[in-house]
Amino acid sequence: MTLPSSLIQFSGHHYIRHRLVLSILSGKPIRIDKIRPDDKNPGLRDYEISLLRILEKATNGTVIEISVTGTALLLKPGIISGGTLTHECPLSRSVGYFLEPLVMLAPFAKKPFQLTLRGITTDDHDLSVDLVRTVTLPHLQLFGISDGLELRIKKRGSPPAGGGEVQFLCPIVKQVTTLNFVEPGKIKRIRGIAHAVRVSPQFSNRMIEASRSVLNRYIPDIYLYSDVYKGEDSGKSPGYALSLLAESTTSAIYCAEATSQPGVAPEDVALLATRSLLTEISKGGCVDERHQTLVLLMMVLGSEDVGRCRMGEPTLRT
Amino acid sequence: MLAFHTAFTKSGNSVLFAMDDRPHKAHRPSQSGAKVEKKKGKEKQQNSFNEKAFAPKSGRRAERQGRRNVEKDQTRLHVPLVNRTPDDEPPPVIVAIVGPPGVGKTTLLKSLVRRYTKQTLSEAKGPITVVAGKKRRLTFIECNNDLNSMIDIGKIVDLVLLMIDGSFGFEMESFEFLNVLQSHGFPKVIGILTHLDLIKKAATLRDTKKALKKRFWTEIYQGAKLFYLSGVLNGRYPDTEILNLSRFVSVMKFRPLVFRNTHPYLLADRLEDLTPRELIRTSKGKCDRTVTVYGYIHGTNLRLGTKVHIPGVGDLDVKSIAKLGDPCPLPDMNSEKRRKLSEKKKLLVHAPMSDVGGVVYDKDAVYVNVPGSFTRASRAVPQGEGEQMVMDLQDVNSTLEDGVARSSIKLFGSSSKALVVEDNTGRVEYEHEQQSDEEEDDGDGDDADSIISEDEGFSEDEEMEDDESDPSPGTPAHTGRSQRRQPTRVLPSIGKSSKRDIEYAESDSEFEYNEGDDNKRVRFDETDDHIPSDEDEDDEDGDEQDADNKENLPKWKRNISHLLESSSSQRPRRRDWTKLIYSSDLTPVQILSSNKEEDSRESENTSTEIDEFFHVKKSDSTNDDEMLDQTKDPLNPKALQQWEDEEMLDSIRNLFITGASAEDADEEGEGQGEGASFEDLEPGPVDTTDEKARADALAAKKAELKRKFDEQYDEPSSSNVDFYTEKKDEMARQLELNRAEFAAIEDPETRALVEGYAPGAYVRIELGDVPCELVNHFDPTYPIIVGGLLPAEERFGFVQVRIKRHRWYTRTLKTNDPLIFSLGWRRFQTVPIYSLDDHSIRMRMLKYTPEHMHCYGTFYGPVTLPNTGFCAFNTLTSDAPGFRVAATGVVLDIDRSVKIVKKLKLTGVPLKIFKNTAFIKDMFSSALEVAKFEGANIRTVSGIRGQVKKALPKPDGAFRATFEDKVLMSDIVFLRAWYSIEPRKFYNPVTSLLLSDKNQWSGMRLTGQVRRDEGQKTPLNVNSTYKRIERPERRFNPLKIPAKLQSALPYASKPKLMKAQSRQTYMQKRAVVMEPEEKKAVALMQQIRALRKDQVARRKEKKSERREAQRKKAEKEEAKQLEKDKEKRKEHMRAAGQKSKREAEAEEGRGPKRRKT
Repeated sequence: MTLPSSLIQFSGHHYIRHRLVLSILSGKPIRIDKIRPDDKNPGLRDYEISLLRILEKATNGTVIEISVTGTALLLKPGIISGGTLTHECPLSRSVGYFLEPLVMLAPFAKKPFQLTLRGITTDDHDLSVDLVRTVTLPHLQLFGISDGLELRIKKRGSPPAGGGEVQFLCPIVKQVTTLNFVEPGKIKRIRGIAHAVRVSPQFSNRMIEASRSVLNRYIPDIYLYSDVYKGEDSGKSPGYALSLLAESTTSAIYCAEATSQPGVAPEDVALLATRSLLTEISKGGCVDERHQTLVLLMMVLGSEDVGRCRMGEPTLRT
Repeated sequence: MLAFHTAFTKSGNSVLFAMDDRPHKAHRPSQSGAKVEKKKGKEKQQNSFNEKAFAPKSGRRAERQGRRNVEKDQTRLHVPLVNRTPDDEPPPVIVAIVGPPGVGKTTLLKSLVRRYTKQTLSEAKGPITVVAGKKRRLTFIECNNDLNSMIDIGKIVDLVLLMIDGSFGFEMESFEFLNVLQSHGFPKVIGILTHLDLIKKAATLRDTKKALKKRFWTEIYQGAKLFYLSGVLNGRYPDTEILNLSRFVSVMKFRPLVFRNTHPYLLADRLEDLTPRELIRTSKGKCDRTVTVYGYIHGTNLRLGTKVHIPGVGDLDVKSIAKLGDPCPLPDMNSEKRRKLSEKKKLLVHAPMSDVGGVVYDKDAVYVNVPGSFTRASRAVPQGEGEQMVMDLQDVNSTLEDGVARSSIKLFGSSSKALVVEDNTGRVEYEHEQQSDEEEDDGDGDDADSIISEDEGFSEDEEMEDDESDPSPGTPAHTGRSQRRQPTRVLPSIGKSSKRDIEYAESDSEFEYNEGDDNKRVRFDETDDHIPSDEDEDDEDGDEQDADNKENLPKWKRNISHLLESSSSQRPRRRDWTKLIYSSDLTPVQILSSNKEEDSRESENTSTEIDEFFHVKKSDSTNDDEMLDQTKDPLNPKALQQWEDEEMLDSIRNLFITGASAEDADEEGEGQGEGASFEDLEPGPVDTTDEKARADALAAKKAELKRKFDEQYDEPSSSNVDFYTEKKDEMARQLELNRAEFAAIEDPETRALVEGYAPGAYVRIELGDVPCELVNHFDPTYPIIVGGLLPAEERFGFVQVRIKRHRWYTRTLKTNDPLIFSLGWRRFQTVPIYSLDDHSIRMRMLKYTPEHMHCYGTFYGPVTLPNTGFCAFNTLTSDAPGFRVAATGVVLDIDRSVKIVKKLKLTGVPLKIFKNTAFIKDMFSSALEVAKFEGANIRTVSGIRGQVKKALPKPDGAFRATFEDKVLMSDIVFLRAWYSIEPRKFYNPVTSLLLSDKNQWSGMRLTGQVRRDEGQKTPLNVNSTYKRIERPERRFNPLKIPAKLQSALPYASKPKLMKAQSRQTYMQKRAVVMEPEEKKAVALMQQIRALRKDQVARRKEKKSERREAQRKKAEKEEAKQLEKDKEKRKEHMRAAGQKSKREAEAEEGRGPKRRKT
């Protein structure tokens, strides 16, 4: 005899990840309908279904019901169990799409997460695994989730064929610590990773050069690493990208990234990344624009003490 | 002259005479002698601290002493816990008086109330709150002897006064209560021994005290405080003893308990039924009720939108929470400048269910007690407040219609000014009450106010708030009061807030109202200048307001939205995210885009490039619908081209450490974009001038520098404080921060929305859909506790616990037998499955709980945080014999599914045996079953291992199996399997408060109980009976080795079978002829042997005789002893009977006393 729990209704396919994550964290069942009803290809996309699959795997007792047309979805959340998981991500989205919601859930699991995801590691829709490793995880560390938190990039895989593999390890916490972060500080160092797979290793060096040409004027502490994967580890298709992050004196992190496009010179990719980093820096705040959601969520999930955090302008996702 | 005087004094006639003239000689202590020496020695002993006495005599001793000191220091430390209760206005400390019946609980309660308030209660029911000191209030509650009440009280009590009958000793209930306390977080316990005057002999008294103290200490801790109350004087305990006890109570320090520190709760001191009378009448009292409960919040903040659990009733929805004026306020700084509590404050007592000042609140009525014979004419006697009011009520001579007509004036109830003019009795009284409310100095006055409102049947405060203009006819039982009254027990803040509601409601409809009103409402217009100017800008919000006002929303709701808006709009011109996100129904897209536009419109100093950038982005986000669910915004090379500009590049130079100085940067930062800084909750004030900001910044910098300096030079110890102090400091800092953050919100409504109602607030909680039995069978002696639930705790799942049967509980617990758990706030019955971890491979079901050992238990129930303690009972009724706490334990884990297995053994027998292969039958019944078990390991009884191979076609369910050796036909083959089981989804909350006889709740019964009640016999499985095992003698055929094989064997291996000898041996066939001497010798030997035999036989006989005699003797002894025992038992029973008789007499004796008063 369960109590009639309140069902929360949503419509539309927007923010499906956030809705699912919040539902699981709060334990409230949700129903999402009108998922692309007027589209040529109505209903859930393959990556969304894949996301539901992995959420079901990561939890215990979750009931997911998808209507025949795929335009409606009912989720009765279970308990986040964690443990060792392996998942093949579809090639329509990169691994970052799946990692983001799981990063939000992982600290609250029962057993430490040990998740292996295979697919595309870097594309221009979602956070690349480099950014997840260097930016998202430090944001989690703000909340006392640090020991054993790791993202290993086993193989890289560029779109369209993918073939990358990452391993995400996350410890569990009893309670996330209260954040008190209102001083953005000043940028003291800039780091970056230029990676290239199945192309000439010279590409990454060219990107570094171009980026340095802009950034060198600000601070001397700039290290841009060239990260070239070879052979088996380099996935199935060629590609390269530059991800940059700027860290302030109070360890606020801003990040930006650009990936290779067909017919674009690596220098242009680098400039694009560099300039978007500068935009990001100019927006200010203590938290990177892309991680506002994560930080706000963690602040909400903390103890009832007051946490404070200064942020830049909220984005749509926030 | 001198001589004369001396003569006079000596004669002793008049000393007075002498005193007038000359003073007495001053006393001069003697300077020498034995007495002086003695005194000197004493003085020395008293005054000086003898270092030698405590100094260690040797190095080893010093070391040991040091170690001991350190150990003692460590025992003092506890894990630091955050205390969620505010220090400035803490909730009253709940003091429960617990003990078996007839031990003197009520007497103690009355004595304590008398000690604190100088008032004598004739009937003490329900919680009684008194002011005990400048910083402390106490809520006394007497716990009755029902186990349900004991459990509930045990969950909320801060201090237990455990009463023990000194003349009788501990009783089972006391131990049960202590065990309940232990599993729900141990609060402080003070023991009180009473009835000590019944023990006449001093030596016995001393011994009793000692024995009871020892027992008490083993239960609580060594050195726990135990009080002795000697006897009863004037129906109270001696004042000095009560004074001592109260001193102990008032200095008691409390440690936060984990469960209570994470849950809000309140002990309801009043219950009121708000259901419309008509509804009750039409449904014959069976409809679900709307009930309000009143009480102080304890624990942590009580937030809106959470469910609450009332133990004994169930989970309930909170309809609304309202903070009320404190009926028993602590003296504040203005009223109390003195160190001690003033006498006036001492009189404060809040006990709605008791009869303080002759007024008793019931669930739906208020009774006023009038002592002695009552006549209306007797004006000479000073009247109590209650009397006064009832008399006033009787004086009212206007009709209901009149009242209705007049009440229509009172449109805006919160403004009292309008009503001052008129003068009839009801009016004057009303005015008086209003004032008293505003002053808020008299708790009793507050109480009294609400009495009237209820007496009239106007208890529906909520209704009045909803539609005040509506002239509701009230109930048929209307006594004819002329004036509609405002709910008086509301906090001034609410009154104020409703005023503000009007202040800000500057829409047309409101103004019309004002015009229609009389001219005493001018102040509405006056307050208009408070309306923030930018309210006008926000057209949408304004529309919303209008809509709100036109619709008849509940007033408070209207209030909230207004307040939110007003509080947010008062803030200076800065984008207010709180307002935008929480109080408008714009979509996120709209919010963001409109802001950008606003931004670009308003902030002139932002560069046009940024403006452009925003526009581009906006179009991005709107037209690219499909790609919205992505984290990275698509890069826009066009927008990024701005960075080709050198100037632009330089503009953010200040954001790097190599950039300009801090002030410059700040300015730049302020200038370049308003959205650059955004605070989580609410933006700070920015309208300060630049100079001021600079000065502030400078001051802050200085303070920081000073702090650093202090840290480095002043107290070097502060840098290397230990972990414990560090943690404590951290917690204190965070608490300080919390306070500071919420202190900025002046408006209590908004604050309540954000952080909830703080502990210490006196609130009224309105609960919907309460079972009518709670109201119908309400009994004030049973505590009503409202426990707040965390969001997770509303869910259900399988709870895994570590459980141990209580060692005093006499029976074992069986899997799948119902058990009543007290876990969290809840009391519920469920069916647990016990299990043990089997080599960390599986959880294996146990049929019964093990003795003296923990095991796991899994049941279906409400989700509870791990590490929460619980206790379990088989029955809660008081007629159950023995110790009722069946088990205790702690929650380990919550899950949606469980993996508990029990062993299942499938057996079969060989059908045909080949070498290592055998056909097995009788294990399965079909080939399909066999197919499921292909490859499974099997084993014979003799230990030969094997494997299931494949099903056979012929006998159904037979299969082929291979073994590591040849099996025998007589072997039994078995397959060990594990069958997973799940606890039944049975959850039955204990609804004891809903019963008329609250003691008699019965849930699901045990099987045995059901059978006994139904008169059924236990079914007996024939196969389960114990029978004599008959094992037929096994006969083995002789081993036959073929001759051919035998011949081939080596000699050592050949069976060496020999034929039996057929001829007689020499020894057999020889004849013996004896010589005469030999014959003689043999005969002699025979005789001797015969003699010996005879002797032995005789000895044996004698021995047995002796034994018989002894046995008889012992029997006799035993009979005597039995007789003695019988006598003793008789004596004991006689004494017990006398005691019970005495008790019964005492009960009777108390009865009339109660009636008398």
